Amino acid sequence: MTRAIKGALVECDASIRALIVRIDSERHDVVIQELDETHLLIDSNKVDFVKAELNRLLSKNTYNPLDDEEIQP
Amino acid sequence: MVKPFLGEDDHQFSDDDNTSSSDNTDQGEQDELLDEEELMPQDDDLEYDEERPKKLTKKIRQPPSSAAGSATSSSSNPFSVPSDFIPDVVSKMFSNNRHDFSYLKLKPDHASRPLWIAPSDGRIILESFSPLAEQAQDFLVTIAEPISRPSHMHEYRITAYSLYAAVSVGLETDDIISVLNRLSKVPLAESIIEFIKGATVSYGKVKLVLKHNRYFVESTQADILQMLLKDEVLGKLRIDGEAAGLSKEKGPSMQGLVIPGTKKPDGSNVNESINTTNDDIYTSVIGEKEEDENDDDDLDAVHSFEISHESVEIVKKRCQEIDYPVLEEYDFRNDTRNPDLPIDLKPSTQIRPYQEKSLSKMFGNGRARSGIIVLPCGAGKTLVGITAACTIRKSVIVLCTSSVSVMQWRQQFLQWCTIQPENIAVFTSDNKEMFQSESGLVVSTYSMVANTRNRSHDSQKVMDFLTSREWGFILLDEVHVVPAAMFRRVVTTIAAHAKLGLTATLVREDDKISDLNFLIGPKLYEANWMDLAQKGHIANVQCAEVWCPMTAEFYQEYLRESARKRMLLYIMNPTKFQACQFLIHYHEQRGDKIIVFADNVYALQEYALKLGKPFIYGSTPQQERMNILQNFQYNDEVNTIFLSKVGDTSIDLPEATCLIQISSHYGSRRQEAQRLGRILRAKRRNDEGFNAFFYSLVSKDTQEMYYSTKRQAFLVDQGYAFKVITHLHGMENLPNLAYSTVRERRELLQEVLLKNEDAAGLEIGDDADSSVGRGNNVMKRSHHHNNRNGKAQRVAGSLASLAGGEDMAYVEYAGNRNRELRDKDKEHHPLIQKMYYKSGGRKK
Repeated sequence: MTRAIKGALVECDASIRALIVRIDSERHDVVIQELDETHLLIDSNKVDFVKAELNRLLSKNTYNPLDDEEIQP
Repeated sequence: MVKPFLGEDDHQFSDDDNTSSSDNTDQGEQDELLDEEELMPQDDDLEYDEERPKKLTKKIRQPPSSAAGSATSSSSNPFSVPSDFIPDVVSKMFSNNRHDFSYLKLKPDHASRPLWIAPSDGRIILESFSPLAEQAQDFLVTIAEPISRPSHMHEYRITAYSLYAAVSVGLETDDIISVLNRLSKVPLAESIIEFIKGATVSYGKVKLVLKHNRYFVESTQADILQMLLKDEVLGKLRIDGEAAGLSKEKGPSMQGLVIPGTKKPDGSNVNESINTTNDDIYTSVIGEKEEDENDDDDLDAVHSFEISHESVEIVKKRCQEIDYPVLEEYDFRNDTRNPDLPIDLKPSTQIRPYQEKSLSKMFGNGRARSGIIVLPCGAGKTLVGITAACTIRKSVIVLCTSSVSVMQWRQQFLQWCTIQPENIAVFTSDNKEMFQSESGLVVSTYSMVANTRNRSHDSQKVMDFLTSREWGFILLDEVHVVPAAMFRRVVTTIAAHAKLGLTATLVREDDKISDLNFLIGPKLYEANWMDLAQKGHIANVQCAEVWCPMTAEFYQEYLRESARKRMLLYIMNPTKFQACQFLIHYHEQRGDKIIVFADNVYALQEYALKLGKPFIYGSTPQQERMNILQNFQYNDEVNTIFLSKVGDTSIDLPEATCLIQISSHYGSRRQEAQRLGRILRAKRRNDEGFNAFFYSLVSKDTQEMYYSTKRQAFLVDQGYAFKVITHLHGMENLPNLAYSTVRERRELLQEVLLKNEDAAGLEIGDDADSSVGRGNNVMKRSHHHNNRNGKAQRVAGSLASLAGGEDMAYVEYAGNRNRELRDKDKEHHPLIQKMYYKSGGRKK
């Protein structure tokens, strides 16, 4: 019998795919199927969570000159 | 990048405001109106005075942040927000971080005035497209610190130090205020006026003078000295006896000094014309110029008391704390005690306008002032130093960072001026001869002079010689790299009348720059990089940041690894390698000479060997280095070299026209600027349409992106724009593209993962930074060592892999180009080969 699972298709760079897989590796409830180099099928309820996590992880790699200024009174 | 936008925002909001203010203002009465506003009673003035910071590092008083929280509480705002001010819709967005200045009333003719001055922090935004901008720039460089100078908007900041510099070159408090007011679009805020007055009123009253090898604190007003002597700290430091009272002397005089090298071929003086244009600017904006100020000085008697060598720095520091910072000047023309040095610029030597401008700041009143001159790499800092030495014409000591630059300085002195070789002495670890004449020139390194450990007999003798003499002038090269402690030792052990610091990048990641202010003096001049590039003094550079996506395999490992290993992974990213290969190929086709920089030695070797290019790093022997560099300069077949950190500063290669940066020292802004400096002096810079290229290769989605943006900050502030390249067209079609198959990439990944963490470490090289031993680095290094010793490392692996039994085999990918170059050199002439190497010949 055929079984259907609803999910959201994510198309992204290889590196972002790796990041999502990494997020999944701690909980195992995000990724439904790894399709190919640039596509993933993920749980549609977790889309917002994945977005937030990606933002958090990627913002570490961004330099904001204003951060430095706030430190100096 | 963000700051100019703030300026523009201000602009818009104030524009709205302006429509209302100009409606009810008569054009003719404009000035009166402005004055009225300035005279308005300010409740907070008194408070400001009391609070005026004892430490000068503090800035203009900030409004209480809580009160500024709502824009409607204008009555409690210390910056005199008019009561009729109605905040508009967007005001709220700016009020909490104190950037809402829309209450400032624009002057009716604001369009023709180029400045915005923020009342809260002394920030000045200059519209550099305004017709007045060039004059305004000259003025602003004198009174404020340039923060950021891209093409259309410049940002400056008024600080206490910058105001000292302004006063020390002869500007008066009232002039500064009135010129600023004239250039500003809005009436000058009370807080700024107070700040300028506070910083300039007491400055320049006290002078520190070195006479007959003794230090004197000097002033024209005896009461100030009496006040200083009553100070608990300073009083004790006086060494010429309490009873003696203040000694009195005749004041110094000036006039008629000519900086050498400023004569035009037809005999007229270039310097003069520059001065008059300067005067024009000031007279046009100030209204009049004080001519007779010099004569007054002549008549003034000078009072002084003596202090000891050791206490000089304490005195300087204390004087700054009590708001009477000392000014150091050297009246070299009236110094008859020290013998003159026969030194002059060669007649053929001509200095460039900006070099002259910087020197005129130094010798503005006929005396030599101590301070720092900031010029980009390759803009002729050396010549500025030499010209200054030729102006003072007393014994000179030059300190630089490495023995290589010692030789360069010596050679430059011989090239540009008439000094005799026997008058130049070099003091390094292998050369300790001194000059025999009564005056001369010594070139040495910071570490030689500041060394406190045991010295050899010879070098002790030289040190005694150096410390026993009185030097007219001390030149400090690359001042930004020297640690403060070492500097202090140098400056206190050697008695020099005038100090000049030279640097390209007055930035440090550790905020020690302000130390230089009292160790050497204020910043006298800072050149505008973009300006010099436009006039052809330095090369035009196209900067680009190339984003290289991490391959899937590499990124997976990247996410798993420790921080140090991550670095190795993003440097060895196959896409980055391909980009590097492609760019080298592309630019070699164009006929460019390319330097590739990599801080990481492992990566350097991997890249260079795979691509078959010669490379130089810390442990490359001197002979091999020279050989490679010569080949790069003269051999058409060697168009690319790989350099590690050693190439950052000391190697001078005017042939290079393209730079590729693979890896770098974290977020060091200085390194980025120094590396860019390698191509600024490109020989071909004056060819029409010539551009030098600077590529920074960055692995996407990694920590490197963060560092890269941080590194660029300095250059962006100088007006350079970094283009981001996300895809290099045609890269896939490059023949022999490395790592184009998955299998090759896997192999590389295996190799990288097998590498010890040590390979990720930075080279402990002999670059400028480490040769003068910055305390910072040493600390970091020893920390790593501890880590390594403390923990044994456990690595899981199969026996087969340990024995090399898996799919690894010894393969030599590419020959070492270094060896090839060396071997080619050793080939003997066929005739000699025939005669002496008969056996070798037969083999062939």
